[in-house]
Amino acid sequence: MKSCKKATFLISKKEEGKLTSSEAIGLAWHLSVCSFCRSFERQTSFFSSKMKGDKVEYNLPDETKTRLKESLRKLMDR
Amino acid sequence: MKNISIKKEEPTAIRLQPDRWVENYASQLFGYTFARVADEQHAEDIVQSTFFSAWKGREGYNGEASEKNWLFAICKNKIIDYYRDRSRNRDINSESKGEEDIYFDHTGHWTEEAAPKEWGAVMEHPGEDREFYEVLARCTAKLKLIQQQVFSLKYLDDLDAEQICEALKITQSNYWVLIHRAKLHLRVCLEKNWLHLK
Repeated sequence: MKSCKKATFLISKKEEGKLTSSEAIGLAWHLSVCSFCRSFERQTSFFSSKMKGDKVEYNLPDETKTRLKESLRKLMDR
Repeated sequence: MKNISIKKEEPTAIRLQPDRWVENYASQLFGYTFARVADEQHAEDIVQSTFFSAWKGREGYNGEASEKNWLFAICKNKIIDYYRDRSRNRDINSESKGEEDIYFDHTGHWTEEAAPKEWGAVMEHPGEDREFYEVLARCTAKLKLIQQQVFSLKYLDDLDAEQICEALKITQSNYWVLIHRAKLHLRVCLEKNWLHLK
C-alpha cells in the first residue's frame, strides 16, 4: 500500500480491530517505511486516549456551582 | 422540604449524598461533558439534567456502582441523548466528498505542508491538562457537527461503531470516513494551536 491517505484511513479501523488480513499486512508494510504515518498513528492515539475516562479536571466557577445547587435544591424541595 | 429525609431502613439510599453532588462531582462531570460537546452552555445543561435524573431515579440506585460512577453513567446517557436529538436535524448530504484531500497530493501522499511534524516528548509529559483540553475543545468545536458527534461518541467509553451508527443514523462506511476526517482535522489543529508548530 503506497497511499498515506489510505493508510491513515485504516489506522482507525485497526484501532477497533476491524482490518481484514490483507489490509493489516498492507498497513504494517506502509508504517514500516513511512515515518509521517507512524507519527499520525502515535499522535492521534495520544489525543484520542486523552478523551477517554473521567480524568478531565475542570474547576467550575463558583457562580455555575451555585446555579446548579439552587436548581437541584428547588427540585429536591418539591 | 418533604420526602428527602433519609430513612434509616433504606441502606442503599444512605450511600447517596445528593446534598454533596454539586460540590463533589459538578466540576468533573462538566469537564467530561465539555470535552465532548464543546459548548459551555450545553455542557452545563447536561450536568444539570444529570443531577435532576439522578435525584428522580435515586430509588433505583442499588449501590453496585459507586455514587460517582453511577452519576457518570447517567451523564453519558445524557450526552448520547443530546447527540441523538441534534442528529435529527442533520443533513447527511452536507458531508462533502474528498474533504480529506486537502492533506494529500494526487498520489495519496502527504503534502509537504500537511505532513505530521514531530511532537516529541510532549506526549509523555503533556504538561497542564487544562490547557490541552481547552485547545482540544476549541478544535473539536471547529469540526463539522457530525464529525464532532462521531468522534466524541467513539471516545465516550464503551460505544462501538455499531452503537454509534445506530444513534446517529449513519452507515458503517460513513462512520469510518467521518472518523478519518475528524482525526486529520484535529491532529493539525492541535499541532498548530497546542504545540504551536508551524
